[in-house]
Amino acid sequence: MATSDSLIQVRNLKKHYHRGAIKALDGVTADINKGDVMVVIGPSGSGKSTFLRSLNLLEEPTDGEIIFNGVDITKKKYVDASGKKVKLDIDSLRQKMGMVFQHFNLFPHMTILDNMTLAPMKVKGVSKEEAEKKALELLDRVGLADRANAYPIQLSGGQKQRVAIVRALAMEPDVMLFDEPTSALDPEMVGEVLDVMKELAKEGMTMVVVTHEMGFAREVGNRVLFMADGKLLVDGTPEEIFENPTNPRLQEFLSKVL
Amino acid sequence: MDSFIKLSNFGKIAPYAQLFRQGLLVTVLLSMFTVAIGFVLALILALMRMSNIRPFRALAVDRNGHLREGGPLVWLSKFNPLSFIATAYVEILRSTPVLVQIFIIYYGVFGMIDLPSFQIFGFIKFNRFFPGVVALGMNSGAYLCEIMRAGIQSIDQGQTEAARSLGLSQTMNLRYIILPQALKNILPAIANEFVVIIKESAITYTIGVQDIMSAVNAVKGATFIIIEPLLVATAIYFCLCFPTSKLIAYFERRMSHGDKR
Repeated sequence: MATSDSLIQVRNLKKHYHRGAIKALDGVTADINKGDVMVVIGPSGSGKSTFLRSLNLLEEPTDGEIIFNGVDITKKKYVDASGKKVKLDIDSLRQKMGMVFQHFNLFPHMTILDNMTLAPMKVKGVSKEEAEKKALELLDRVGLADRANAYPIQLSGGQKQRVAIVRALAMEPDVMLFDEPTSALDPEMVGEVLDVMKELAKEGMTMVVVTHEMGFAREVGNRVLFMADGKLLVDGTPEEIFENPTNPRLQEFLSKVL
Repeated sequence: MDSFIKLSNFGKIAPYAQLFRQGLLVTVLLSMFTVAIGFVLALILALMRMSNIRPFRALAVDRNGHLREGGPLVWLSKFNPLSFIATAYVEILRSTPVLVQIFIIYYGVFGMIDLPSFQIFGFIKFNRFFPGVVALGMNSGAYLCEIMRAGIQSIDQGQTEAARSLGLSQTMNLRYIILPQALKNILPAIANEFVVIIKESAITYTIGVQDIMSAVNAVKGATFIIIEPLLVATAIYFCLCFPTSKLIAYFERRMSHGDKR
């Protein structure tokens, strides 16, 4: 099957609405390898967000397979190593996939520090001291250690998104999923968030990024997926996508956004 | 012709002031317990209504594994017994008079159960007070349930998505993320329900709860004076409800101010 270093294998993934009248995902197949920075581009309504959200089952696919750590996570039950049928533990699975949203989705009733320590403490059972130490280290990395006791409402959009990124990192995920992380930001704040993401890519984090930032796709991505109408049309390197695109839909899309 | 109010009558009912003081305490206690019971009941009902337990879920899929188009099996597959029970409860309680509910609870349910006949503070008859609290609490729970459901549903879906994507279970998500935010939003509505219950609790004098209204009745029976005790009761109810609702409105403004960007 796939190479040993592939982290997530997506096989013929489909997501239909209204009994198949709308095909948000129409048979997408892709391998996400360890260390990949995979950037997903495409016109709006092309299914790229649905694809990303299917990876950690925020959307339940209609058909197809997503194999993560050797288990098909689209099935409610799977056969484990000892041959027993066990129920899929979706929560422990999602811990390993960090997710960053377009609208940040910080918890407004908690301080930044509490936002970051909640999941490590409640889900992983990390002690409060340890969780806070780790959170402060992460906040320091994105230059926000001094805002640890602020509430999300007191932060700018760019600051919120940086917190959202390190909140997901605090769970030490195997892969980070970004759903249009800069689309809701004022233009002058886009850079600070992209810088954090670049840093993350440099450290070797596996990332899947849905974005409209073509500069980021070209500069940071090692693979670019172009989607349209729920289908994966091109899966290639940034050079193949941006320097000499052959697919007519891709050419048309690039002529509009570049 | 007699005038509507005789000032001298107030003098005649003055010896019964103690009854009104006790009635005031009963009314306040009754309302507080009612809202407490109503709150817990409403939370349970709201969670039942929003649950996604469908025992016949499998019926929606046909032999080939495709979703069925329609028909009775699809209808059955969507059946959620918890939600059905909670919805039925809420609709029945909201569509029948509270007086009928109180009589059914008092004469029906507690007619079969022997309550201990001790007195709280030496004058509140427990075997009257308790059925009153239960009946009003059950009624209030039905109304608060709808408030609570709206409060929970008003929280952005993104909050749940963020919580679940961090690995929090649905229960943890409710406990740490959704309920704290929802309850803060509906706190003014719950406080308003307290004011509503203060007024509605007057009806419990019909089953012998010694609230403010029952004091009016006692004075009427002893002195044959009716208007003046009613005016005293009116004044007491107003002094309870008006400042309380103004206070709630004040805190509501303060709290919404904090939410602004």
